[in-house]
Amino acid sequence: MAEIFDRLIIRILLAGFICLMIYLYRYLHIIFYPTVKRQVLQATNPSENPADTMHLYSRLVGIAIIFSSITLNESSGFFLSIFHFSVWGILAITLYLISLFIIESIVFHHFNYTDEILKNKNLSYGFISMCNALVVSYLTRVVMIEAENSLIILSVLWLYILVITGIAIKFYSIISKLSFNRLIVQKNLSLGFSYGGYIVGAGLLIGSCFDQEHFDISVYMIQVLLKTILALLIFPLFKKGLTKIFPIKLTPGQQDAERQQLGYGIWEGCLFLTGAILTSMLVNRIHFGTIYPFF
Amino acid sequence: MYKFFIYSMLVILYLGLAKTLSPSEMGISYIQNEKSFSKITDKPYVTFILIDTHVTGFLIKTYYQKYRMISGYEEVEDLILRSSKEFTEKNLDNMGLSIYRRMHGQEEFLPLPPGSLYIDDPEFGQWVEENGEFTWHFKKPYKNFPRYLGWNDFHPTKKFYEELVLSKRLGRPFYGLNQEFGPEGSITQQAFPHFFSDERRKKMDLKTLLIEYFKENF
Repeated sequence: MAEIFDRLIIRILLAGFICLMIYLYRYLHIIFYPTVKRQVLQATNPSENPADTMHLYSRLVGIAIIFSSITLNESSGFFLSIFHFSVWGILAITLYLISLFIIESIVFHHFNYTDEILKNKNLSYGFISMCNALVVSYLTRVVMIEAENSLIILSVLWLYILVITGIAIKFYSIISKLSFNRLIVQKNLSLGFSYGGYIVGAGLLIGSCFDQEHFDISVYMIQVLLKTILALLIFPLFKKGLTKIFPIKLTPGQQDAERQQLGYGIWEGCLFLTGAILTSMLVNRIHFGTIYPFF
Repeated sequence: MYKFFIYSMLVILYLGLAKTLSPSEMGISYIQNEKSFSKITDKPYVTFILIDTHVTGFLIKTYYQKYRMISGYEEVEDLILRSSKEFTEKNLDNMGLSIYRRMHGQEEFLPLPPGSLYIDDPEFGQWVEENGEFTWHFKKPYKNFPRYLGWNDFHPTKKFYEELVLSKRLGRPFYGLNQEFGPEGSITQQAFPHFFSDERRKKMDLKTLLIEYFKENF
């Protein structure tokens, strides 16, 4: 009974500690977004600016996703496990925010947070920002798990995943028929759903490419690269196939206007997400076996 | 057209990188035909015995062969080699036989019983008279060779050796006086039970295959 009670106390203390880490995150957030000091440090009304709520709280979800990758080993002592959690937690938060800063600089290089979120309350911007935050947190989590507590492997894999994600983001303008910059200015939610489906799909796909056994970092990275290129080959097949299976009919002459409707964005986003999930299955879930059991 | 070009370039890039960088493509040598064995090893006194064959792939097949490489003075090594379709099919009837031999710089490609290289070589053994018949026995340092060669209790007789020499001269494969070597040979089948196991040879019809699938999965 005493042991069970002790473990319950440890969990309660850890819950408090994780809350403390999230409290620290508020201040780290201000480093990257100095203009939101008031929103982050004081009590705010979430209904006042839904775009900002989406922007800030998606990051909170992201932090939780990343924290879920850290394991606490109580057998090595309570204080040591707390220390391990705080070191890797701060590292994870820092990596996450830097990644997010870089990714958002690529995605929103024509826009800025103050104008779109604080002044224009742009929901499309907020939604895209939320998708970015969730995907980046998921990918940071994947990297943290694969790094297996090695700082060198973590830094190499983090850079690697960031490059691949950056390239994937650039691909959006090639495969989507929606004009990104124009529709963001128009606060178009169709773009938000389309981009959201795409980036979540791409995140799942990239994450799954990194999810494999590794004994040698160079061989591991080669395998990831090959899987990524393979995904690039398979994904268009699914996109084409799904478009043929579920064809859409746009009114001639009004195609551009109809594409700006919410339905089109949802259709495109679902198509991207489905294609990416199926691609991830074909890239990672086929086991061809080896010749060795036969010999 | 532009998209098709980009896609084709991606396919080429993937195939090229996979061929060059993938670990699965590294470390397995390829043999086009019997002459390719020369590149596998430069040991002066060596014999390759075919001990297993395997095919993978759905539409495009990849052929593998497993060889036991015995070089007179060194460790015995089992090698997996990728082989051409023609070479694999040509050697389906040569299971358990020595496919390649090299001694004193001379190469032989005729399929012969394993150990042909050592018979009558005084460096490796001697003829011993048993019940009025001369049989070949390895010297003490090579006492494990019959096991490596898959001979078990078999000892070649003088007559066996004479037939072997005659076959070499005629360029005709030799499977033993009573066909005891090769896929139908009793000695080979006893020496490599894994290859000849019922499990490996079993060919299932669709009905049996489905019944086994449902038994295993549900």
